[in-house]
Amino acid sequence: MLEFRTQGFNGYGVKYSPFFDSRIAVSAAANFGLVGNGRLYILGLTPNGIVAEKWYDTQDCLFDTAWSEAHENQIVVASGDGAVKLFDLNLDNFPVQSWHEHKREVFSVHWNLTSKDTFCSSSWDGTVKIWNPTRPASILTLPTNSCTYSASWSPHSPFLLSCVSSDSHLRVFDVRAPTVSGTTNHLVSATSIHNAPAVSNTPYACTIDGPGSLLPPIPPTVPRLANGTFPPSECLTHDWNKYRDTIIATGGVDRLIRTFDLRMPSQGPLAVLPGHGYAIRKLAWSPHLPDVLLSASYDMTCRVWTDGIGLGVGGPGVSMGKTSEVVQGPAREMGRMARHTEFVTGVDWCLFGAEGWCASCGWDERLLVWDVRAIMG
Amino acid sequence: MSAAKAQERLSQVASHLSPSAKRGKDAVLEKSPDDIVVTAAYRTALTKGGKGGFKDTAAADLLAGVFKALIDRSGIDPELVEDISVGSVLAPGGGATEFRAAALVAGFPTSTAVKSLNRQCSSGLQAIAEIANAIKSGMIEVGVGAGVESMSQQYGPGAVTEFSDLLDSYPEAKNCKVPMGVLSEQMAKDRKILRSDQDAFAASSYQKAAAAQKAGLFDEEIIPLKVKWTDPKTEEEKEITVSKDDGIRAGMTAEGLSKIRPAFAKDGSIHAGNASQISDGAAAVLLMKRSTAEKLGQKIIGKFVAASVVGVPPLLMGIGPWKAIPVALEKAGLSSHEDVDIFEINEAFASQCLWCVNELGIDVKKVNPKGGAIAFGHPLGCTGARQVSTLFTELHRTGKKIGVTSMCVGTGMGMAAVWVAE
Repeated sequence: MLEFRTQGFNGYGVKYSPFFDSRIAVSAAANFGLVGNGRLYILGLTPNGIVAEKWYDTQDCLFDTAWSEAHENQIVVASGDGAVKLFDLNLDNFPVQSWHEHKREVFSVHWNLTSKDTFCSSSWDGTVKIWNPTRPASILTLPTNSCTYSASWSPHSPFLLSCVSSDSHLRVFDVRAPTVSGTTNHLVSATSIHNAPAVSNTPYACTIDGPGSLLPPIPPTVPRLANGTFPPSECLTHDWNKYRDTIIATGGVDRLIRTFDLRMPSQGPLAVLPGHGYAIRKLAWSPHLPDVLLSASYDMTCRVWTDGIGLGVGGPGVSMGKTSEVVQGPAREMGRMARHTEFVTGVDWCLFGAEGWCASCGWDERLLVWDVRAIMG
Repeated sequence: MSAAKAQERLSQVASHLSPSAKRGKDAVLEKSPDDIVVTAAYRTALTKGGKGGFKDTAAADLLAGVFKALIDRSGIDPELVEDISVGSVLAPGGGATEFRAAALVAGFPTSTAVKSLNRQCSSGLQAIAEIANAIKSGMIEVGVGAGVESMSQQYGPGAVTEFSDLLDSYPEAKNCKVPMGVLSEQMAKDRKILRSDQDAFAASSYQKAAAAQKAGLFDEEIIPLKVKWTDPKTEEEKEITVSKDDGIRAGMTAEGLSKIRPAFAKDGSIHAGNASQISDGAAAVLLMKRSTAEKLGQKIIGKFVAASVVGVPPLLMGIGPWKAIPVALEKAGLSSHEDVDIFEINEAFASQCLWCVNELGIDVKKVNPKGGAIAFGHPLGCTGARQVSTLFTELHRTGKKIGVTSMCVGTGMGMAAVWVAE
């Protein structure tokens, strides 16, 4: 496990460069992001450990960051003062562009993986905005009317993006879809994340052979309503599956990871994965395996999960050392990393090399680079 | 960056760590696609029973009128309305047959279901709450909650059948048939609600209503209805358009009211001037989920947050709002009535309304800012739905957000609901 100390700054977001396997960005904030400055670290993985190649100081906390998919030296950050800033690594000190449209904290930024000339941001002001780095103002504003913690482009379509927010909903927008009225801009679906699962998690079935569900039991500590649904709960993070183009995973305050199929979102989550002891702050599907998901939580752990649905031969988690003949196996936690000593706020997979390398950051002022395979039980 | 900002961020993080549902004013004001929202709330004018503009109009005709306006003004495709619930108290058979027919007259298709219900004076609110609950549970997508009463045509001894020996043999059951005025008189006496205070409250209701009417503050919520009306002097039938509450009298003072003879006991305090008027009227509210409203392009005027229903002793029916309002606030997640900007509490009698307001410690300035049933009438089944249109227009006009509607209910109950204007 490699480590870098973001001294004086609590980590909020971490992203591997899509261009270089040795470059990682960390967005961070002084004083736990409550008040004070922010800092964007550009870190290099060298034979001598992790070194800070560059850093940029900002007036307010930086809650997230996203590398440009088009330009290897460009990177955007989400700032607590409502600004979205674009930095170019060829320049020192100052951003090349700063957009100040959001009225409250910007909490996520995400670059469009397929069209590559746009990115999006989401804010506590209840909007998602779409930007082009060459334009002085945002291209589009999508209202959610609710504190929006995370927005993300589909990795499969340049027109689809999604977001999750404090109103316990997963929204999907299609920028091609017509607008009906001011508040329905391009919205194609709004799914209640707290809906009852399509298949119930029965208390005994955590086995392929036994009867019942392939999902792990939901502990009685998780609040449930009488009709089997969950109470609404703030959703803090979500991610699109990189192989199955209609699958999204969500996570948030109720400590549950859920997966949804966008073809039938109203039928409830496909899988509900309990385990984290506190709210889930970040989710990332593996870039290498269709069933593997990484999570970061306020419970100070990162965990690796399979939702049980593998594609092609071998089945779920096959390359992760878990050989199996079936394509659908049980959804379960496969391992956890408990080396952080404070809230873990960010986690990301390395896109290159051996599948399993990832980086995590947290309020303990540490960036950890580690191999998921080493923690799988 | 200010300390307030840091505090906001801190509470945001704190909320991530406690999985319990968010509560408080901010949580109530939040918008969710699951919210049950109101996209239209209209009423007819309320007119004096026996002599007002609607004295010759059947309840179902009033209802048809308000339904038609609801469709026209909201622009809703009537095909999308799956159910209509109508609160009505005096109609024989609950009015079920006539109300279904009225919906068809108004332009609803045969596929739109209709029912009537009766929870006495809260019937209109009960109808709305049932539609909201049906939408919440997924039974329907779009519905109308309504209320109607023609006290001109249907008020009278026929409203209650003779009590059986069995009912009469049980004292608390027998209390259910004690007339409203009589029991309210007793309650006023027991709870020491002074006549002078009642008269002052009543005069204020008249004054607020007269001022509001003069300023046109009711015009937005009232849909004008063209009806036939027989002039009692000439016996001539004319067609008139009724667009104003005709019970509102300007120039009413506490002093003037103090001269009126008590109606229910010689030494009593309740009289025609400090009790609700007997009236005719109808009101209707269009409800759906926020997500549906946004999909349909319906303009959202506010949301239904929560409703409560409680029971109280039949002889103390007047205390219903006192018991129901805290329950509704609790269900809405509000810790104090101070979070509420406007209360529409039905003025069945000045005595009971005033008692509830004082007992709850509500600032009387927040109560019925455009007057209440003392000034413009209480068509029994209509009132609960009427209050919603009155509340929302006033919240919008004053830029305020949170409102409560409530009423006491004959035989000893209370209802209340919490609303947010948008």
